Amino acid sequence: MTSPDPADAPPSLFGITVRRAITSGRVYLVLGCVFSSLFAVGLGFAAESFGGYGALLVPVYAALGGMGALMVFTSDRIKGVFEYLIAYGISPRRLFANVLGASCILVAIVLAVSMSVALLLSLGRGRPFPLSVTELLLGYSLPMSFASVAFAATVGMFWTSLSSPREGMNSPIGLVPILGVAPSLLTLIAAIATGRADSLALPGAAVLVVVLLVLLLLRFMERLMPRERLLSPT
Amino acid sequence: MAAGRGGSGANGAATSISCRAVSSGYLGTRVLKGITFEIDRPGIYVVLGPNGAGKTTLFRTLSGILEPYEGEVLIAGEPIDRPRARDRLHYLSHIDGMPDGLTVREALEFYARVERAAPADVDRVLERLELRPFADHFLARLSAGQKKRVSIARIFLREREIYLLDEPTANLDPRLAREIRTLILDLSREKIVLYSSHNLFEAREIGEYVLAIRAGALALFDRIENLRAARFVVGLRVLGPNDALAGYARQGEYYLRELPGPEAVPGLLRELEEKGVQLREVREMENPLEDLFT
Repeated sequence: MTSPDPADAPPSLFGITVRRAITSGRVYLVLGCVFSSLFAVGLGFAAESFGGYGALLVPVYAALGGMGALMVFTSDRIKGVFEYLIAYGISPRRLFANVLGASCILVAIVLAVSMSVALLLSLGRGRPFPLSVTELLLGYSLPMSFASVAFAATVGMFWTSLSSPREGMNSPIGLVPILGVAPSLLTLIAAIATGRADSLALPGAAVLVVVLLVLLLLRFMERLMPRERLLSPT
Repeated sequence: MAAGRGGSGANGAATSISCRAVSSGYLGTRVLKGITFEIDRPGIYVVLGPNGAGKTTLFRTLSGILEPYEGEVLIAGEPIDRPRARDRLHYLSHIDGMPDGLTVREALEFYARVERAAPADVDRVLERLELRPFADHFLARLSAGQKKRVSIARIFLREREIYLLDEPTANLDPRLAREIRTLILDLSREKIVLYSSHNLFEAREIGEYVLAIRAGALALFDRIENLRAARFVVGLRVLGPNDALAGYARQGEYYLRELPGPEAVPGLLRELEEKGVQLREVREMENPLEDLFT
């Protein structure tokens, strides 16, 4: 048996968390990729008439695709994996960071698939996206996708930790996709209501609000969620 | 309360657990109240107590998962929150701690990574715990007993000095429970093993010392052999009916006889032999550890 130096930093579990998030959340990931690619097709074929709304819809499905990491969090808490990891010196902060990071990787996969589809279609047709759509994609779709999934993951971690295990839609996992898509869905509704789907002002403000909310939650994470909350309730 | 002299750890420092006036619990609610004990001798220490007494909380506090509200936990003289102290102990919780979405081999590789064990250790443990046939099976498809075996396998990835095992044989079939007990007995020759169990006969079979927890306080810490039941009752199973046993009370297949103590058993056996009773089995019917649950 080996005897490593106990003073060494605990090992990184980020890679394995990402892999487990992909496995656990594969249905969400496939749904996210398929639907965001469909809207990317919309961007490619009908950019001028449909592009603004398409760009606004991308984060809805990107956030959905990132739910796997939160599923891992919920499962690990209930099944006592966190208890084990904390006993071996891995801090709750690192556990949160792993989940948050894995969520972002999943979103990056969804975005990479859908944006590649959009770009290939656009190049194939020889018609680049209008500038307003490109601005929306870069200034809203991409940051809002990451912000939404970070919001869902952070709120979901609090929610999961405050809850007893339940099945179905009442479980944290049942509700969190709704939380995850809420910011981008509300932004879409607001854009439709004000008729400003092609302007970056409203979506940009929404991104800022969500980012600030996530930062605020992260700031108080340790106070709101002491390590006892990570132990299995069973 | 203290147990014996010290053993020697891997780095030469004495292996010990010191729990000094520890109060701890969850979100401000105290479960353990001022627990003090010291263990510095290798062996199996059985932690007993009724449900809700604080056994799991004690294990979580000793392993550094819960920070005490008062008092301190020292491992070989160092506070438990120091990496060197943590590195001396293994903790096995009462739940499996199985990461979803992995095969048995991947789960052990996951644990090995956390433990900083070598990849070769995974193969060794797969072999030792007879898990090789399931190595590529997903954990979700294993039976409860197989999962428990994987869960227990992780404590064999790396040798440590102290093992905190919270109900390691709960929900296991008798054969697997016996196998696990044998593995733990092997471990305990040079290690300190704290072992919680609801199975009093198991506790008596493998334990040397008992720590009884009642309502969050340490009710008893002593050698198990020093405990005596309030009544000493033996059960006699015989090969055929015999008139000499007519006045005995019955419990299932056993004829019951209360004696002043274990020292009276040889006399009873002689008396029965003289009366022509053919004995098949003699066993103690009341476990002194039961008194710790009342």
